[in-house]
Amino acid sequence: MKAGRIALHLAMTAAAIAFVAPVAWMLVMSFLPESEIFQPVPHWWPEHPTWSNYLELWKRAEEAPVPRWFFNSALVAAVGTSSYLLLSSMAAYAFARLNFPGRDPLFFLILATLVIPGQVTIIPVFLILQRLGWFNTYYALIVQGLSGVFGVFLLRQFFLTIPRELEEAAVMDGCTRAAIYRRIILPIGKPAIATLGIFSFLGSWNDFMLPLIAVNENEMRTLPVGLMIFLGRYTMQYGLVMAAAVVATIPVIIIFLLFQRHIIRGVVLTGLKG
Amino acid sequence: MTQRTEERLTAYAFIAPYLALFIAFLAAPVAYGLYISLHDWHVLGQSRPFVGLANYAALLQDDLFHRALMNTAYFALLTVIPGNAVSLLLALALNARVRGETLFKTLYYLPVVLSVAVTAIIWRWLYSTEFGIINHYLSLLGGPRPAWLNSPALAMPSLAVMSIWWGAGGNMLIYLAGLRGIPDEYYEAARMDGAGALARFRHVTLPLLRPALLFCLVMSLIGSSQVFGQSYILTGGGPHYSTLTVVLYMYQTGFSLYRMGYACAVAYVLFALVLGLTVIQYRLVAGRREDMAA
Repeated sequence: MKAGRIALHLAMTAAAIAFVAPVAWMLVMSFLPESEIFQPVPHWWPEHPTWSNYLELWKRAEEAPVPRWFFNSALVAAVGTSSYLLLSSMAAYAFARLNFPGRDPLFFLILATLVIPGQVTIIPVFLILQRLGWFNTYYALIVQGLSGVFGVFLLRQFFLTIPRELEEAAVMDGCTRAAIYRRIILPIGKPAIATLGIFSFLGSWNDFMLPLIAVNENEMRTLPVGLMIFLGRYTMQYGLVMAAAVVATIPVIIIFLLFQRHIIRGVVLTGLKG
Repeated sequence: MTQRTEERLTAYAFIAPYLALFIAFLAAPVAYGLYISLHDWHVLGQSRPFVGLANYAALLQDDLFHRALMNTAYFALLTVIPGNAVSLLLALALNARVRGETLFKTLYYLPVVLSVAVTAIIWRWLYSTEFGIINHYLSLLGGPRPAWLNSPALAMPSLAVMSIWWGAGGNMLIYLAGLRGIPDEYYEAARMDGAGALARFRHVTLPLLRPALLFCLVMSLIGSSQVFGQSYILTGGGPHYSTLTVVLYMYQTGFSLYRMGYACAVAYVLFALVLGLTVIQYRLVAGRREDMAA
């Protein structure tokens, strides 16, 4: 029995190494001087660690504006996520609690679009963005994400579990429905909204296909597409490429470590409900 | 103003902003895409004549599209079952209540939060023929030094391995939640009946995990039918079209050749496929409910 436990532990450690080593290697390589990168024997630890790749990244900001891409990614993810949470929670509240003609058919219509893969609409979305004159703007990078159905669906489910008695008392006291949303639904719905926010932020930060078609000016790129261009341009300076990848990854790692519990619970919740 | 009117007005005001975006960037594009797919729609063209189903008919004859379909099916074959097996194994190990469980869980999930671009950058270096870690250790064991991403036979399996590494943590969490939901008494009862570990897995774990298994398998299948970033960034669909996927073909047709009508037809074929898979999943899950009712 004991031997079995040890074997299991060893196997799990080996698996952990397989999952983490590639990420760790990215970090190590970003600190390698160029002379240590192209070696027949890979360096798992830099003999002469250096910040030069990061400094170089900063110096090349003219031709490959990584700092600007970082700013764009942060702006798009922050504005996109907060708008998404506001709009989805408002709509979810109306669908969960308010009576109005056409509510159920409308909700069903919205729900039905959950089965449509994002790529199916990418070409019409591109043409619509162009016609609106939003190509190469922040609008183009943000608005399409706000149309996502999942947030409304998830928050509606959560709002439905809030006991109605709380609201009924507030209505008796003369509260408007808008005030109920603000004073009762939002505070109680916080855990669900926070989970949705984390996934929305990570999704926006990592999104690849929409930013690929929504903008084509170098200065308007977000990190994932920017990194791809970077990779094509500096194929032979892999330390530099790895430094750029590390810069793009640090925010998601921080968010992941801070909100691990939310994320793990969220995957399970949405996975089993989706 | 009566309470009822107030309620309705609030409802419309609360839904309007979201609904406007939903219509403009989701509902309208779905209809618009179908409309475009019925036209000879070149971005630079002066006229965009209606061609009926000609784009769809042309797809039937398009060898490259068939290639893309086959490649996508191949990618699904290489990732769906092997990937779910990895996720399930990790979940089973985590469920054994070892020390450091939370840490292991965190480490296995870590790659999921990376973007496809970062994942591709890391793996391009791992797969490097001359300097990559994989070939280094392979040659230490006396093996060959294959050109992973530059070989028509190995490129797709290489992308598949990378994708499994990238995504296994997600399904792992769902399986783990499913495993935690199985009462210990079931295992106890099976043990009393003399069932060994393998028999317990087959007759207790697997049947009770069926909803999670179905869900994860179908979602993985749907996900793999939409694979794009991996091949777009790492191989551009090559070598010799060996990693050209359906979405990549759609992208190239639309944004490199500017043939929007044809690209939209590709998109709708993909949509039909995904819809079919979703219906199958629904049937399977519904079937399961009937089983339980019976």
